[in-house]
Amino acid sequence: MSRMGSGPVNKRSKFGRKERIFGYSVIIPYVAYTAIFWGYPFVWMLILAFTKWNFFSKPRFVWFDNFLKMFTDKVFLQIILNTLNFLAYLIPMILISSLLFALALKKVKFGRTFIMLSFLVANVSSGVAYSLLFSNLFAVNGPVNRVFDALFGVTIPWFSNPQLAIFSICLIITWKFMGYYGLILYAGLQQIPQSLYEAAELDGANKKVLFWKITLPLINPSLVTVTVLAIMLTFGIFTEPYLITGGGPMQRTTTFMIYMYDTAFKRIDPSYATTVAVVTALLSYGLVTLIRKTFEREVSFV
Amino acid sequence: MKKQEIGAYIITILLIFLAIIWIYPYIWLFISSFKPAEDIYTTFWPKSLTLDHYKFIFIMANRFERPFVRAFLNSLFISTTVTFSVIITSALVGYAISRIKFKTGQVLFNFTIWQMLFPGFMFMIPLFVLIRNFNWLNTYKALIVPSLTSAWGIFMFAQAFKTIPEDYVDAARMDGANDFWIIFRLMFPLAGSTASIVGLFTFIGIWDNFLWPLMVMKDYNKMPLSVLLASFNHEYASYIGPILAGSVIQTIPMVLIFLLLRKYFLQGISMSLR
Repeated sequence: MSRMGSGPVNKRSKFGRKERIFGYSVIIPYVAYTAIFWGYPFVWMLILAFTKWNFFSKPRFVWFDNFLKMFTDKVFLQIILNTLNFLAYLIPMILISSLLFALALKKVKFGRTFIMLSFLVANVSSGVAYSLLFSNLFAVNGPVNRVFDALFGVTIPWFSNPQLAIFSICLIITWKFMGYYGLILYAGLQQIPQSLYEAAELDGANKKVLFWKITLPLINPSLVTVTVLAIMLTFGIFTEPYLITGGGPMQRTTTFMIYMYDTAFKRIDPSYATTVAVVTALLSYGLVTLIRKTFEREVSFV
Repeated sequence: MKKQEIGAYIITILLIFLAIIWIYPYIWLFISSFKPAEDIYTTFWPKSLTLDHYKFIFIMANRFERPFVRAFLNSLFISTTVTFSVIITSALVGYAISRIKFKTGQVLFNFTIWQMLFPGFMFMIPLFVLIRNFNWLNTYKALIVPSLTSAWGIFMFAQAFKTIPEDYVDAARMDGANDFWIIFRLMFPLAGSTASIVGLFTFIGIWDNFLWPLMVMKDYNKMPLSVLLASFNHEYASYIGPILAGSVIQTIPMVLIFLLLRKYFLQGISMSLR
């Protein structure tokens, strides 16, 4: 009996040792790789943020100068305003449109796959390709303006008026992400038990009450997820303004990423560019935390 | 009840109409790339079709120092290399940190989650400095090596492997299977949807990557298509036809892989909620 029992136990511990050896032989190369391509840049990021450097000289330690410089850097302050401007259009546009899309998708009678794929295929488009595509489609004398001209006798300066340029870029981003975010919300809607609606209807609640008191509070987690994703996305915008407006008109569509790129490679100031990146990350992290603290609610279906 | 039914049909038709508007830019792009240059802005239905723009891309563009075919192959090479590497390393490391009982694994698992908190753009300039110190600027290495592993991929595989019952693994071990066999013959097929999701998002992410290759690649012969197309547009903006044809070529692989793996794309979306 004891021999029968001890066999597997011994074997198991032998497996354990072999497993650990295998584990280490996988993990050690991975850790070494991560140390080089993640750890080293991480350390350099900290060094650059506190030094002055131009790619060639020796980095000179300047304490918080890079951070202090931002408070007097007109372009940087303009970019903060630009980003708020982007958020002011994008967040409502993307939340309302993807929520409507999710609600409508629940009611769809036929062609659901076609609809989902059509909206999602916008999401897997290439940033460079669709930026070039839209800058032609919405060009001053482009096809869209020709339609507007024929119908209403006006042409719209999609990318040359500052507010319109921001709005147009937000429109393109909404085009890209509405299907994706809509499906996240749709997955949230699917989790709400039908019995809740039936019970509320028995109590005499109307459609409006059902939406505001049941649907909206219960998809809170997915709504917050979408908002957070959209915020992080906004702080990382690069390709669209870089290719369509070049940051103009009057630097109104210049984003943090464009500024980081230009500072590093056109003004040859990688230390300040890195500081811009760090502060951008902190700002987006701060805003995300604020949104989570303010709007996130625990939801449980009992 | 009847009224609701009618409402649902109206919504359906409205959504199908919207879906067509959503893919309209693609349709316009595709049709326009076959239209003579002077018709691109003016007519929707082409009066005549031409292959000039594609001919330009495939043959003429070399004379403009813009080798589009080569750039397409570059993109394909870079994206597939990175995708396969990410899938394999993520499966290996994911297995090590989720199924092997040792403390280092747990520490590393927490570390990968922590890693995901940092947006990639924070490291771009410092990573550029590293690549420059390695003398890797303007080489394929600069585009491939920094992306060979992915914290997100490891996390996804670790989560998927956790759900596979221990009995399966024990049974395989009793039969003398080694770790590689367990990972790639037993676990990997059971985590097929995770592998597809990780592969799909990695491929699309690398294919579409623009800012990083823009920084490290100035050599037209080794550029991925995204950067070559942008630089062509920058200098020859009036060649609208070839630009649109190039955009079609840049878009096709992404749409193809999406249509191929669409089922997993939808699963990936519902997974991002957990």
